[in-house]
Amino acid sequence: MRPIRNSTFSLNLMYVPALLLFALFIYYPFFEGIKVSFTNWDGFNPTYSWVGFDNYARMLEDKNIGTVIRNTLIYGVGSTLFQNLIGLLYALLLNQSIRTRGLTRTIVYLPVIVSPLIMGYIWYFFFQYRGGALNDIILLFADKPVNLLADPQINIFIITFVNTFQYLGIAMVIYLAGLQSISKDYYEAASIDGASSLTKFFNVTLPLLAPSITINIVLNLIGGLKLFDVIIALTKGGPGFASQSLSTMMYKTYFGAQDAGYAAAMGNLMFFMIAIISIAALIYFRRKEIQA
Amino acid sequence: MKKIKMISLLFILILTLIASGCSSNKGGNETEPAANNGKNTEAAKKGEKVTLTIYSTTNDQGTQDVMEEIGQSFSKEHPNVELEWQFPANDYENVLKMKMAAKDMPDIFDTHGWSQVRYGNFVADLSDQEWVANLSDAMKPIVTDAKGMVYTLPLNAAKDGLTYNKDVLDKYGIEVPKTLDELIAAGEKIKTESKGEVIPFFFSATDAGSLAQFFDYFATPLLISAKENHAKSLLDGSFDWNNWTPLAAKFKEMYDKGLMSEDVLTIRETDRPQLFAEGKIAFSFTAPGFVPDALKINPDVKVGIMPVPAIVPGDTPTFSGGERFTMSAWKDGKNLEVSKDVISFFAKPENLKRISEASGTPAALNGITPDLGIYTEYYDMYKDIRVFPYFDRVYLPSGMWDVMQTTSSQILGGELTPEDSSQVYKQEIERLKAQQK
Amino acid sequence: MKTNHKLSIVLSVLIGLIHILPFYLLITTSFKPMSDLSSKWSLPQTMDWSNFTSAWEGADLGRAFINNTVITVLSLMGIILIGACAAYPLSRFQTKLNKFVYLLFISTLIVPPLTILVPLYQFFIDIHGMNTYWGIVLLHVTFSLPMTIFLYTGFISSIPRELDEAAMMDGMSRFMLFFKMILPLLKPVTATVLIMTGVGIWNDYQFSVFFLQKVEMRTVTVALASFFGPNANRIGWVAAGSLLAALPATMMYLFMQRWFISGLASGSVKG
Repeated sequence: MRPIRNSTFSLNLMYVPALLLFALFIYYPFFEGIKVSFTNWDGFNPTYSWVGFDNYARMLEDKNIGTVIRNTLIYGVGSTLFQNLIGLLYALLLNQSIRTRGLTRTIVYLPVIVSPLIMGYIWYFFFQYRGGALNDIILLFADKPVNLLADPQINIFIITFVNTFQYLGIAMVIYLAGLQSISKDYYEAASIDGASSLTKFFNVTLPLLAPSITINIVLNLIGGLKLFDVIIALTKGGPGFASQSLSTMMYKTYFGAQDAGYAAAMGNLMFFMIAIISIAALIYFRRKEIQA
Repeated sequence: MKKIKMISLLFILILTLIASGCSSNKGGNETEPAANNGKNTEAAKKGEKVTLTIYSTTNDQGTQDVMEEIGQSFSKEHPNVELEWQFPANDYENVLKMKMAAKDMPDIFDTHGWSQVRYGNFVADLSDQEWVANLSDAMKPIVTDAKGMVYTLPLNAAKDGLTYNKDVLDKYGIEVPKTLDELIAAGEKIKTESKGEVIPFFFSATDAGSLAQFFDYFATPLLISAKENHAKSLLDGSFDWNNWTPLAAKFKEMYDKGLMSEDVLTIRETDRPQLFAEGKIAFSFTAPGFVPDALKINPDVKVGIMPVPAIVPGDTPTFSGGERFTMSAWKDGKNLEVSKDVISFFAKPENLKRISEASGTPAALNGITPDLGIYTEYYDMYKDIRVFPYFDRVYLPSGMWDVMQTTSSQILGGELTPEDSSQVYKQEIERLKAQQK
Repeated sequence: MKTNHKLSIVLSVLIGLIHILPFYLLITTSFKPMSDLSSKWSLPQTMDWSNFTSAWEGADLGRAFINNTVITVLSLMGIILIGACAAYPLSRFQTKLNKFVYLLFISTLIVPPLTILVPLYQFFIDIHGMNTYWGIVLLHVTFSLPMTIFLYTGFISSIPRELDEAAMMDGMSRFMLFFKMILPLLKPVTATVLIMTGVGIWNDYQFSVFFLQKVEMRTVTVALASFFGPNANRIGWVAAGSLLAALPATMMYLFMQRWFISGLASGSVKG
């Protein structure tokens, strides 16, 4: 019998290639990026100076950061909320053996397959003021078209909607998988105890779906907080800074304002924000899993 | 199954090779360019195959085709040289910035007006080339510095002002405005008499470049072109930015009076050709770059160009000018001499003529008379109008364009007052200047 | 949850109609010539294929598709091999070290690509990886690994350890055990991995636009983006091109649907 220590060590070698790739292409650039946040680099010239924590101090004073962070949270939490609610409802519906379920599932999943940039533009042509598909319908009933994308209160929700639409297929599919792995025995036992459909749902389905809920929520949060493509396609972050997320603001600051140092500081803020929120969500929902 | 083991072992091996390779290459890269310079130009002369990368900013298919054809003529004369064109369009500046950061510039690239201020550290001196003697008087000071170094070959020279729909102006009896106040009055007349059907001034807050262009144009009549002007104080840093506020205020006035389209916040530049072709736009504050697309929709639409109206009483209209398309050589390029030869080839009069005609823009070197089609009568009519270099290229540091875009769209959105926008300019200029140290 | 079957069918049809909406708009736009300015809702008067041919030639889609296919296939091969290999010890030996490594791997999902774009670009130049297949493939593999490792680790933990022990009693080494026994069992979750990561790689824009600058190396999404000009959106072409681009991914999804969901079931749900 081989000594166990040797075999586990040599087995761990199996994840060394992955580790190497991460080290080269993610960890190393990530730490370089952190360095940049302490400079006033413009993004292309070889010369720059160290400015210590200036960039981070600027973030505290920046009038626009509040809006941007708020938007990022709305996109992240809002998308997650709707993707999970609707995804779960669809999964429940389409788990039954009805003839149309295969087709409907595919249609709902289709947006995931198409590039979000392209889907964003399709929706832009829907919500457009001039000649947009939505306004074509509205003009049948009212005499003035609406400009939803121009309204800072509304366009954020349109962006959240489009993002939800794009990815709720994934939530649905993960819930379907979860539902299918729940043994029918549990339902039979509940029926014998005289439980109603609603009780069965809350006492059997939901608890056993806990792992799926955890995954969906964490994945959706990370994706929603990082949102970029859809915003660019619909509003480019406008008007002004009204619909910017941390991602789009970072891009604009880096390339547009030639402020690589500030953009890097924003990037680190974003990283910590996403990390804290997703880890908190992970811990919270994992605990619920164990209770269930 | 042994195969799979072998493949995976190979993968690990390759990765370790790469890891070691990168550390040795880092050292190598520093010394390579200088050594290669000598080696490869000799190689080129001997006839060894050379491939040059050329990056151009032009978005327009017609101009791209002409550039590539001229390149092909060069390759015919020098069969060992192959030219690889790149047209990154909207991403041009971002891609170039990445390449600058990585010290991986193309052999030949377009400096679009920033040859000295932004790309200055990366371009080779072209003062020894024959075509330098033919640079127009307006162009010479722009591309040459105090020490006599020539930074770029200007392929054409912008002479930009406003573009207008002649049919619309004729219909409402509008004379070409010579001052900003006349322009605003004309806008109000058009709005009232067309009952809001025609948009007097086309702007897009989403494509905020259209807003920044307004400020770039009118900064000259505001601060530079009049007899008493602020040029000196702008250059030495003593300029009082409260002097900028009146222009921002006029801009807001145009918005408040409803002279921009009702959906100015979301309309995009891509909507412009159509609206212009339908006679729904009067003035566009840009050069006529969008006109070919408008002509495709309505070949009969009549286009006019005019210089930028004056602001200071007693002053006259002006054009904003300077290079439009250019070619510079990367000073650390492996084939520097060949690149210079390519640039000289493009500087030949017959080639520059073709480029001017394809892009609808006058020539930058003397002795070239392109046929500028529908714009000829206007360039003739305005041939004595003063041409000032684009304001932001001379008086603002690199990176201010984004500030101009953002502040103007915030003014329209009501988030920023004209007074505050001047302060933002002041702050940002200080930040950008600090970066250069 | 017992519902009336007829009601369910009606609901699912309704959902299908709502969700097919953007694709309806996409299809009608792709068949209308550029001069047709009718409402987006209206059906095209004739099936005009000119948008498809123009998009194909204008963006050199033929070559772009070849690039996409090569890059995606190579990436998927690397992802499955490296990902499954990495997941095995992380799932079987949950030592303190391995738990830490697992969290480290998964946490890279959080890193926003822009923060590392420029240092990554410089690094790529140094290793001469620009405009190469192997360069972008390594990049795609790296960024797809977190999700892959997550799914594989979950799935492997549902394979009983007794299987491993039985094989080792028969004298098989751990390595052989992995390749001969475990790997074949991973088929369902591999389908999931293929679809989830493959689609992302196929549609990638932000890496391809900076790392594959040579025109002949361009991928489909980057090529289509060139149609969004500053003066006129050639939406007909974009619509046509997008439909063409979505076809292979859609077909792959339809083909693997069966395993996709069951793979998810074992890979994700059993944590």
